[in-house]
Order: sequence, then structure tokens, then C-alpha cells
Amino acid sequence: MKKIVTATTLILSAVCSMASLAAEGDVGVAAAMDDRYCTTCHGVEGIGNIAIEAPRLAGMEAWYLKRQLENFRAGIRGTHEEDVQGIAMRPMAAKLSDESIADIVDWVGDWEYVPAEATVEGNVRQGRTAFQACAACHGANAQGNEALGAPALAGQNDWYLLTQLRNFRAGFRGSHQEDTFGSQMVTMSKTLTDDQAVIDVVSYINTL
Amino acid sequence: MTNPVSRREFLNLLGAYGGTSAVLQAGVALGFMPSSSQAAEIALQANNGKKVAILGTGISALTTAWELTKAGYDCTLLEASHRPGGRMFTVRSGTVIDEIGNYQRCEWDNDPHLYFNAGAARIPSIHSNVLKYCKELEVELQVFVNESKTAWVQDDAMNGGKPVRNTDYSSSMQGFISEMLSKALGDSKLDSSLTESESETLLGMLRRFGDLNEDMLYKGSTRAGYGSGGFLDHGTTKDVVALRDLLKARNGGSVMVTTQEGTGSGPLLMQPVGGMDRIIYAFANRLGDRIKFRAPVTEVMVKDDGVEVAYEQNGVTEVLKADYCFNCIPSHLMSGIPNNFPDDYSEALNYIRRGRAYKAAFQAKERFWEKENIYGGITWVNAPIQQIWYPPHNIHGKKGVVLAAYNFGGANYTEMSQQDRIEDLLKHGEKVHPNYREMAQKPMTIAWHRMNHMLGCAPRWARNRGGWSDKEEQMYETLRQPVNGRHYLIGDQSTQHSAWMESAIQSAHYALADLDQRVRAEPA
Ligand SMILES: Cc1cc2nc3c(=O)[nH]c(=O)nc-3n(C[C@H](O)[C@H](O)[C@H](O)COP(=O)(O)OP(=O)(O)OC[C@H]3O[C@@H](n4cnc5c(N)ncnc54)[C@H](O)[C@@H]3O)c2cc1C
Repeated sequence: MKKIVTATTLILSAVCSMASLAAEGDVGVAAAMDDRYCTTCHGVEGIGNIAIEAPRLAGMEAWYLKRQLENFRAGIRGTHEEDVQGIAMRPMAAKLSDESIADIVDWVGDWEYVPAEATVEGNVRQGRTAFQACAACHGANAQGNEALGAPALAGQNDWYLLTQLRNFRAGFRGSHQEDTFGSQMVTMSKTLTDDQAVIDVVSYINTL
Repeated sequence: MTNPVSRREFLNLLGAYGGTSAVLQAGVALGFMPSSSQAAEIALQANNGKKVAILGTGISALTTAWELTKAGYDCTLLEASHRPGGRMFTVRSGTVIDEIGNYQRCEWDNDPHLYFNAGAARIPSIHSNVLKYCKELEVELQVFVNESKTAWVQDDAMNGGKPVRNTDYSSSMQGFISEMLSKALGDSKLDSSLTESESETLLGMLRRFGDLNEDMLYKGSTRAGYGSGGFLDHGTTKDVVALRDLLKARNGGSVMVTTQEGTGSGPLLMQPVGGMDRIIYAFANRLGDRIKFRAPVTEVMVKDDGVEVAYEQNGVTEVLKADYCFNCIPSHLMSGIPNNFPDDYSEALNYIRRGRAYKAAFQAKERFWEKENIYGGITWVNAPIQQIWYPPHNIHGKKGVVLAAYNFGGANYTEMSQQDRIEDLLKHGEKVHPNYREMAQKPMTIAWHRMNHMLGCAPRWARNRGGWSDKEEQMYETLRQPVNGRHYLIGDQSTQHSAWMESAIQSAHYALADLDQRVRAEPA
């Protein structure tokens, strides 16, 4: 009998102490829950994370970030079955409210822009020639042009640029009929005749 | 059943037969306990006043903190989440599942029996270090039932999609396998490699194993239960389902080895009473305010004489300076955290991939499975939900929590909406239990690939099925060495057998042994 009593007391005390810790955590979570999840994948202050293939957000223009989040939410981006990274992103954005998107864009705007480390090596000279077509919209220094809806490319993770250019060329991104800017990119990316040209142009962007 | 597989085909299957006898020499391979069966004895130098930063609160981190605290080290644990434990996570009334874009709060009845181990769930007998801490920290354990012969096997291609009992499947499969092997034993080629008495022993064993008749044929077995009667009246044997029909089930492999879950363990597995996180809270409650929650690490800088760790707390960045650092933050998340690790170390960190796993569970209005003579174990479904688990605890209680999906590989659940996930588990479950949909209350789902602060179910080192490449072995060794003798990577990511709590704990012990040897070598 004595043994049983001891065991019960132990279980009870374990339950109580556990409940106290668990409850504390959960109450806080309910209060503090927002949609500021970005850094788990995109790295501290949006520096980008190659292991997750999540690109740099720090320095991304507010208007571009907003448009992409809205496109992901609406399924205009991230629904093509071959767009592996886009498919991973889409569910993260699917349930965002307009307020959450505005809040995220604001939050991301606070992060310091530091250009990403170069990891792609191609023929810079060839890339420079090919880039002329890009410069028309993205600017000679790949600094972006809001009026044309073209984001900055300089300083972005080169592995991300590579994936996106490949996706545009293959139609994995930009094929959705409501993706106006994306469809322009599908056309423009075809000026890059093969994968080596894609690597070269990204290598050139790395020098800007 | 007449010769469903030709003898020649069968002998081909046994191609490795001659080799087997050469490998298995009694006394060499038999009799030894599987490795890792001994719990570690930890004897650290005590009270040296060293300060240690511990990143994350996975079981490896908690083990480290507990051992160091006992030895008088000054430990601080930084945890990004609102809860401790990482992949040891139990969902019950009030629990938040912090999945990105799929926030869920559990609203099951508030009852200690109603819980769902969303991550780790089973403890094999040979995981001695997990068991050692359960004992030391007074975490009560109970037996976990992994296999029930009365649970079901379902495949749309078998039996017109109607489920068959595990026992109907496995007893018959055992019967057919035994019959075929005993026939093959009659073949001179196979027979010649065994002595007469070995042959006889094997045949005797096969007869029992397969429940064969005197002619060494399988004609059904009462192991599968009776067709009728069996208590007041004589039992009748059930009709035998043809091998060819059984072979339509494509998940038979899983059915036949369920009891062998976990390397080297038998059917007996264990679980903490009340949920796997009892282990986590047993550590966490003892460590008290040494743990800082919602304190994501934002930078790790290894210095000559220690480590500086930046973290965020209430919107403010703080810096923790310590003599040593133990880090269980998943490698794929560390890749997004500024640090000054050497290139080869970073390369190795970036190399490890993350596995996908998906689980789902609901609170059942009634314990409907008990009405089908099921009291635990697993139903195997050849659909992405793959498994249905019935709780082995609180038998004959009012309600119970049913695990309604467990997909290792994740299928496409990661991208599915909560609504689609729920419809999927109901749709497949009701093929097994007609009243499933009506019984299922408040399903909860978890796609580990989308879990905040985890983004994966288990580290994946080897890229090729064939095993680890030399390069992988080399990177693994790099990560096992502390950076500058100060920063230790721990967790199942720095082991060669990921996805087990035991591995995570042993990674901590390995690092602690290294630390101890270093501090003892320091000039006093
Ligand atoms: C579905 C599933 C089933 C499993 N089944 C079993 C089983 O039956 N038996 C078994 O033994 N094992 C099982 N496992 C494996 C077991 O859960 C793990 O091996 C073990 O829990 C890993 O512990 P860890 O110490 O490596 O840390 P983890 O649990 O990986 O913890 C990592 C910690 O780091 C924290 N973190 C992340 N980012 C930061 C940051 N920036 N700052 C601070 N902290 C951060 C996380 O919040 C988390 O607490 C299962 C796992 C899964 C997912």
C-alpha cells in the first residue's frame, strides 16, 4: 500500500510541475502569435539560407516582397509542380492576411542589406553581354526599377537567381496566366540560350 | 495453392544461402548484446566554475545541461521556441502546434490519457541511455504495443479493398513461406549444404513456424482465429486466402516486421505514461530558469578563450559569453545563423539534408477499435497515411487518441492544407473502420518539414542508398571535433544513426567526454 501511495504522489507532482511549465508557454504563445516566421527559413534578419534554399530577404524592395507574397497566397506563384522551392513557400503564405503581409514587409524593411556571398562561377565576360537584355528593366547595375516592376538582382543569393532563371526558362515560374511580370520573364529568360548562359549572367550579376 | 512460385525462382531467392552459414558462427555473432546496450557512466570534473552556453533544448541539449549542472557547471540554455524538447513533442488539450502557416491549438478533452506523441513515440529496450534517464528522473514508463495481430492490413488491390486482419495475412504468409522453404529443402542442391540433422531441425522449425500439416503443406491455421466456434463448440479453421491474393498487398513487408521496429529490439517497446514530453519536462523542471524560452540564437562567434552567442529576447539582442558552447540547433537552421565556423565545418553543416515526416491524430469519440478486438498495435494501409495506431493505454476508457497517419517521407502532406489533410486521413481510415469519420473528433496534423524552429524530422547524411561515402564520413568527423575546442555540435545530426533519442543522448555524452578531458588538462 505504501508503495502505491508513493508512486501516485510522484506521478501527481510530475503532472503538476509539467502542467505549470506547459501552461506558461502556451498562454504566451496565444498572445504573441503573429506571422513573423520568415527567419526560421530565410535566416537571421533575412540573410538567406542555402540549406533551406530560402533566399535573402534583407534589402528586398517592399513593393516586390509584397507582390510575391500576394502571388504565393493567390497561387499565382508556387503551384507549378516542378517549382520545388515555390511549392515549399506557398503554404507558408497561403493563409496570410493583408495586415500580416503589411507587417512582414515592414519588419523585413528593418533588416540591414549586406550583399550575399558569391557561390556561382561562370564566364563573366559572356554574362556581361547577355545582361544587356536584363539591364533594360533591372537597371545597368541590377539595382531594380519599381516603375517597370523589376526587382533588384545585385546582392541576391546567386544560387537563388540561378534557380529562378532556370524556372522561368522552363516555364515552372511565370506560366500562371495572372502572372503578368512572370510571363515577361519567361520570354526574356529565353534570350539566355542555354544553362551555361544562365550561369554566366548570374556570375556577371555577382560583380555588380 | 499449387506451386505459386517455381522451385528454380525460389532457389534464386536463396542465392546467398551458402554464404549465410559461413557468416553465422555461433559464439561470434550470437550471444552478444546489440551494441550500445550499456548506459554511460558520466564522471565529470566537479565545480570548476566554467560557464556553458547550450543552444536549443533537444534531448541532447537537456542531457548536456543536466550532467553539467550536476557537476557544478554554470549552464544557460537558449531555446527559440515557446516550448522545450524539439522533436520530442506531445500534443494534448491546450497544446499549440507551431507549424508555419498552419497554426493549430488542440482542443481535445482535458484528460491525461488523451495525448499524441507527434514526434518520438517509442523506446526500444536497448536504448539504455534513454532508459537510464527515465529511471534517474523518475519518468514512469509503460509498455507500448507496436503490433496487434487483430489490427488490419488494407490495400485497395487486395481482397477488393476490404481490410484483412493482420493475423490472416501474417499467419498465411508464414505458412506459405514455410511450405516453400520446406519444399526447397527437399532439393538436393540446397539440402547438400546442410547435414541431415540440421535439415531435420530446420524442417521441424518450419513446421511450427508455418503451422504446416504432416505433409508439410499449409492448409490454414487456427492462429488466424476460428471461422466459427472455438469456445463452447469446436472451432473451425478459416478458409485459406491464396498466396497470390495476399501478394496483392504491397505493404506486406511492413506487416511482417512490425515487431522488429528499432535496431536490435524485440516486440517490447516502451513509452512514458502521459506522453513522451514527460522526459523533456523531467529535465526542464529540474533545470528551471537556466532555460530561456523564445530566445532564438542569432549569432555564434567562437573566440580563443570561449564562445559569444547572440540571441534575441523580447525584441532585444543580448550576448551570452561562455567558456564552452553545446549546440543542437538543426544544421540546416544553423546555415542561416551568422557564425565564424571554419569553412570545412560550414561545408559539412550545409551538407546535411532534412527528412520529411508527417503524423496526424484525432480524439476518438469512443474506443471503437476495442469493439473490433483491437487493443493496441498498428493497422497498415497502403495509402500515404500508411499507419493507424491504437492507444495501448487506458483500455476500456471512454475515449482515446488514434494516430491516423504516419508517413516517413512526408508524401505531399507538407504542402496540403489542414482541411485536405483531414479529408485524406478520414477517406483512407474509413476503408478500414466504417464508422471512422463519425468517431474522429478534432484531428491534429503535423508536417515536420514546416514546424517552426525544426523544418525537418531527421537529419539525412548519406545521399546514396548504398551508404556513407568517404567524403560524408570525413565531413562527419569534422563536425564531431569541437571548433577551437570550444563549440560542440550535438544532437542526432552528429551521429550516424539519426532519428533516435538514444543517438542524440549519446552525442551529448561523446561531447561531454571530450570537454571533460580538455578541462582536466587545463592548467589549474
Ligand atoms: C515523427 C518523428 C518520430 C520519431 N520517433 C522516434 C521514436 O519513436 N523513438 C526515438 O527514439 N526517436 C524518435 N524520433 C527521433 C527523436 O525525436 C530525435 O532523434 C531527438 O528528439 C533529437 O533530439 P536533438 O537533441 O537532436 O534535438 P532536436 O529535437 O532536433 O531539437 C533542436 C532544438 O533546437 C531549437 N532551435 C532551433 N533553432 C534555434 C535557434 N535559432 N535558437 C535556439 N534554439 C533553436 C529547436 O526549437 C529545438 O528545441 C522521432 C522523430 C520524429 C520527428
